[in-house]
Amino acid sequence: MIASDSRSARINELKKQRRRSPYLWISAAIVAAGVAWAWLGSGSLMGRLSAERRWTNFLNFTESLVPSPVRKSGDWGDALPWAWDLLTDEGFIALLTTVAIATAAILLSAMAVLPVLSLASRQFSRKNPFGVWSGKEDSGTSFRERIVGPGMRFGFVLSRAIPEYLIAFLLLSLLGLQVWPLVLALAIHNYGILGRLWGEVVENTENGSREQDAAVNALSTGRGRFATYATTIVPSSFNRFLIYFFYRWETCVKDATVLGMLGLLTLGKLIALSKGFFWDRMFFYVLLGSSVILAGDLLSTFVRKRLR
Amino acid sequence: MNVRAAWNGKHRRVILAFAATFLLCAWYVDLKPAGLLPPDATHWERTGRFFAAALHPAFDYEDPNTPVDAIPIWVKAFHGLFLTLKFAFGAMSLAVPAALVMGFLGSSAWWPTPCPRPLKAVLGAVYFVSRFVMSLVRSIHELIWALLILSAMGVSPLAGMIALALPFSGTLGKVFSELIDEEARAAGLALKAIGHRPLQTFLVGIFPAALPNLITYSFYRFECALRSSAVLGFVGIETIGLYIQLSHEEAYYREVWTYLYPLLGMIILVDFWGAGIRRRLNQVEGGCTG
Repeated sequence: MIASDSRSARINELKKQRRRSPYLWISAAIVAAGVAWAWLGSGSLMGRLSAERRWTNFLNFTESLVPSPVRKSGDWGDALPWAWDLLTDEGFIALLTTVAIATAAILLSAMAVLPVLSLASRQFSRKNPFGVWSGKEDSGTSFRERIVGPGMRFGFVLSRAIPEYLIAFLLLSLLGLQVWPLVLALAIHNYGILGRLWGEVVENTENGSREQDAAVNALSTGRGRFATYATTIVPSSFNRFLIYFFYRWETCVKDATVLGMLGLLTLGKLIALSKGFFWDRMFFYVLLGSSVILAGDLLSTFVRKRLR
Repeated sequence: MNVRAAWNGKHRRVILAFAATFLLCAWYVDLKPAGLLPPDATHWERTGRFFAAALHPAFDYEDPNTPVDAIPIWVKAFHGLFLTLKFAFGAMSLAVPAALVMGFLGSSAWWPTPCPRPLKAVLGAVYFVSRFVMSLVRSIHELIWALLILSAMGVSPLAGMIALALPFSGTLGKVFSELIDEEARAAGLALKAIGHRPLQTFLVGIFPAALPNLITYSFYRFECALRSSAVLGFVGIETIGLYIQLSHEEAYYREVWTYLYPLLGMIILVDFWGAGIRRRLNQVEGGCTG
């Protein structure tokens, strides 16, 4: 009995010692209120159509996804020549263009992010990076810590805040119908995302790790911040950078597909053109895009396993 | 140690391969530096007007035929913003429970050890099917899901929420299963040693340990859902994206900025809110998969 009492007293004591964060509780309350409002707030969620009409639409729609030769003959063997024709007509070129746009864009983002990470990093922009005294504390070091670092990080936040589809939509009207608006839209958005993901890798260099020791040694022997970053942190974090790079490439391929809906010959354009009239073709192009993503998924899983 | 010594042969080969790939892609899609500038006087004029409008967002509608009793433009902007938030909240409330179920089925952390061979075959099949479903739903972009679902169900807020929720549940489920599988199993092993069943071990040992990472990742996806929700406006669902599209098509650029600024502000605010949550949960983010 005494043991049980002391145990429950100890449990109560531990409960009292738990970390409590009003910030987290308020955040949870806001999220709960947001979800309740989304479902119970004003307006019907179901739209104007009756349930019966929706069901008929759904049946008609699923029927129209079946390839047209199969609908006529009832033989699924006719689907293969039909799919081959779509692939060789425009599908394959659109697929290659989609992948090329995504690849060029993500490489452009990577080239832009890599050199500026040392300026954006809290670790490198402070007066004493990694705790190493870096010489005279003049207005230059203060400017780097207070203006350049936060400015670069806010640049990352800003560039990832705008959805890529919106950037592409706006740029297309300014630069005309060509590939740059799509590439730039993806590159600008991913500049912010890679800046955050790679930035976390740099910031999270652990105390006592090999990377940190190398950086401290380099700084102690008089090497500059950028040289230290380029010769210690980047090479040692290279594999982690690659993991995030491949993940963003995969996302870029998916995004490049839909950006084509704005008018350039990628899978998105073929999807947009087929919509409403040739649902079977549209569905084929959707599955084509999906198969590239699945292949990319397998590739990035393979690369990650090799790099581990 | 100089740069040459710090970078090994593998690094250099990867960088060279990337450089060659970039040049090849740029050549294939005809990416010339001249394309970075507007092509003619009309586009230059349009570009100038668009960026000049950024300094003078509209406080009233630019369309002279706007009815007198129309709601003020800033009220419309905030209405669009609230609708954007509403879709994001609704979609995430569908995606997170679905992802928890799929993430659980797609992880092996709760399997009994040792696992009898027939049971292992069944669990392996469940694991494979749930992983495949997660990959399939996330391999299709939310905008294309929206096109498909709106065509099948008609335009309705629920259709928009489902369109966002489907790919998000796949992405969240995949990351959930990886986070659960990668979670240190020390607590789980200790609980098993004192006689807990595999499922109990998972529920009181492994899952609570993985929970902070699951929460931070879900919040990151909420930020993504907000952006995607805005874009749903381009397929006809009423979010702030629809207002931006309509104003832009009429070349009312000042109105475009009136809608863009609050959208940007909201997304940046949520970004900082998420950073605060991450910091307080004291976890290093496990990356994000979109």
